[in-house]
Amino acid sequence: MWKWVASDAINEGGAMKVTRRDLLAWSAGAAAGLLATPVPWKVLDDVSIWSQNWPWIPQPARGPVEVKQSFCTLCPKGCGLRVRMAAGWAVGVAGSSTHPISRGALCPLAFAAHQLNWHPQRLRSVCHGSNRSTWADAQAAFAHASKEGPLVVIDGYPGRAASSVLESFAEKQGGSYRVFAPAELRALASYERWTGIPAASLGYDLENANTVISFGAPLLDGWGTPGRFTRLWAERAAGMRDPQLRLIQIDSSLSRTAARAWQWVEIREGSESALASGLAGALHEQNLVPAHSPVPSMTLAESAAQTGMSVERIRELARLVVAKTPALVIARDDDPAVAALNVLLGSLGKRGGIVRHSEQVKPYVAAESVIGSARAVLIDASVPWDFVPQTNAEIFRFAAWDGGGTKADWLLPAPGFLEDLTDLPTAPGCSALTYGVAPALVKATSEVQSAAQFLCSLDGSLPTTAKIIDSRCQDLFRRREGSVYAQEIFEMAKFTSVQTFKEQLLKGAVWAGEPTASPEFHCSLKEWPTRTRAVAAESWATEWRAPVMPPLASKLYQESGLRESPSRRNA
Amino acid sequence: MSARYGMVIDVDRCTGCGSCMMACAAENNVPALPQATARTGLTPLLVRKVSDGNHDESRREAFIPIMCMHCEHDTPCVKVCPQQAVEVDEATGIVMQMPQRCLGCRYCMTACPYHARYFNWWDPAWPPGMQKSLNPGVAVRMRGVVEKCNLCHARLHSAKEKAAGAGKREIDPADYVPACVEACPTNAIHFGDLANANDPVAKEAHSAQAFRLLARLGTEPKLYYKSNEAWVRALAEPNSPQASEVQRG
Repeated sequence: MWKWVASDAINEGGAMKVTRRDLLAWSAGAAAGLLATPVPWKVLDDVSIWSQNWPWIPQPARGPVEVKQSFCTLCPKGCGLRVRMAAGWAVGVAGSSTHPISRGALCPLAFAAHQLNWHPQRLRSVCHGSNRSTWADAQAAFAHASKEGPLVVIDGYPGRAASSVLESFAEKQGGSYRVFAPAELRALASYERWTGIPAASLGYDLENANTVISFGAPLLDGWGTPGRFTRLWAERAAGMRDPQLRLIQIDSSLSRTAARAWQWVEIREGSESALASGLAGALHEQNLVPAHSPVPSMTLAESAAQTGMSVERIRELARLVVAKTPALVIARDDDPAVAALNVLLGSLGKRGGIVRHSEQVKPYVAAESVIGSARAVLIDASVPWDFVPQTNAEIFRFAAWDGGGTKADWLLPAPGFLEDLTDLPTAPGCSALTYGVAPALVKATSEVQSAAQFLCSLDGSLPTTAKIIDSRCQDLFRRREGSVYAQEIFEMAKFTSVQTFKEQLLKGAVWAGEPTASPEFHCSLKEWPTRTRAVAAESWATEWRAPVMPPLASKLYQESGLRESPSRRNA
Repeated sequence: MSARYGMVIDVDRCTGCGSCMMACAAENNVPALPQATARTGLTPLLVRKVSDGNHDESRREAFIPIMCMHCEHDTPCVKVCPQQAVEVDEATGIVMQMPQRCLGCRYCMTACPYHARYFNWWDPAWPPGMQKSLNPGVAVRMRGVVEKCNLCHARLHSAKEKAAGAGKREIDPADYVPACVEACPTNAIHFGDLANANDPVAKEAHSAQAFRLLARLGTEPKLYYKSNEAWVRALAEPNSPQASEVQRG
């Protein structure tokens, strides 16, 4: 049998002998030759492409794309939304230009709000302390606690149908219903004390004001409904040397609003009340306001010393305030001295001032962090995450996201963005009544319940949110007042049935009433308020105080220097 | 007839809120990675803060959104790209970036006078499930390629499809509005066809208050800015005395 042996072939002749050196030389030549071919470059190219296109590169959802109208429910401003949907999921958010208040504008966070439902800190199961629990256990614990002793229910977004459920339950149990009001509502609290009109039924008639004096309120940075003032400012003030709308911003630092204001008045931090008193004194001194109006005890010199301004600058500012009326003063928070300036200027119940939009709103009891004797505290998901009540009671905290560091005994997963049917009452600070209904556009990604659903499941006699919304639609239909803002503006008289009216609302239309300047707007303020309260400039980023931010917010905080990161600010 | 899409940004109206940045990132499926920083992040649209250099109560600040300027002439990024991954679309004037061709050499980033190009350092990633919230009209770009503003080209495609469906050759201008333009709460960003003399944006671009950044380079950027403030207009040229005082955000 023939057998080929390599050594035989090599040894047949000396010329055919291949040495190790030959092998190395051949290999080097082959490698050099290969470089002259397209093979290595093609392989390199393919490797780069293969490595870039791993199968786990995220693929967007596929499916028919449709656009639905709804409302942002992240905070009580209730801006109008156009939500792009694909395969049943929200894939894009934009402002709805048909909304009469927000007029197509949104705060930056709303553009990524649809991603929040998938946030890693989304609360997906009931937690009792540090352990996972069940809805049944939470219901049993809450039922037991609410029977044992007084109950406190805290709401952060009053006036909704869900708020009625919370309030009704608290009343039935003999407990109390309290509201954690946003800054815009708190700033109106002084007028409630002086006029007896609930703060929630008062609003700023910005549209008819010619001078707006802001004491630290971030008017161009998310104050009120974000689009409302920014649109007005863009149309009537931006870039104009003598604008139709004069914005005077009083701030201790050059905030975003101060940077774009007609005039920025720099004062020492926390001296807003002192400046308000100084301005009142200067207005009286120059006979620019009625002599019978309240006079502050603080002198101009004292005000100048506290604010860091000169006496002459305060006098000049007083003249500017009344130079172009109607003038409206806006405080960032509850500051009686600043609010009293509006009384001095005669801006209460007047066009371009503080107006009353409803006579049906009830006053609410403000939630304080110190809660007296209570057996259980139920906190709705609308209450800012960092509101931590100081109490020994058992705390049942609803939230869609776990912001960490909570002292709640029970953490209960609430519906996330656009996952729940809710209605939207008038936004705080609005001069006209509005009403909208946000349907549940997307399905919840885990087993969630709102606080209202939770209470309805405990007490079957409570009306559900859907029923309350239905009855509110019927009330509005019966009153036949106002207009409906959809692709067109319809007068209420044109609706022939409550069903067609409700259908329009469920499609994202907004009902809006007319502002009313009530003649009975009587103010009991006789003496200049002495209580002062320090305020600091804030923006939507600090005001919203959400447990988590959308991941894309890192574009503002981390991937650019546009805004200071919340973690750095809090540090 | 070909269009020349461009923008006029009214700097006096910009409040620096960042809505345009967020809307741009959401529309174009730009990832937000925890490890990204101001140097390594992806911000196809970046709002910068500038000031007039004063340090007292008279100090003025403004915000200038910076993105790809879609240079018409001698487009620097097109000239240096070895892969022909960048081109000026003849029909629209949009400077297009094709990630499939991009080698990741970053010559274009060096060449861009506006620093409006960004390198994708990492695989795009979102928390589990969040990919369901991505825009289906825009493909996610891979790691190792350069990204920039393409004037929301996916929206132009949609507008073309809609026009074709209606049997038209020309798109309805209302159907093609980039995300940043739509998002701006003060209507500071105006978008239109600069080649159409009747377009309000073309008229605005020729107003006395309009200016372009680094216009002396002769690249004919299609992004115009406008301001009534002389110190803001002076920022167009970096060697001006006012511009040397600029503080970048």
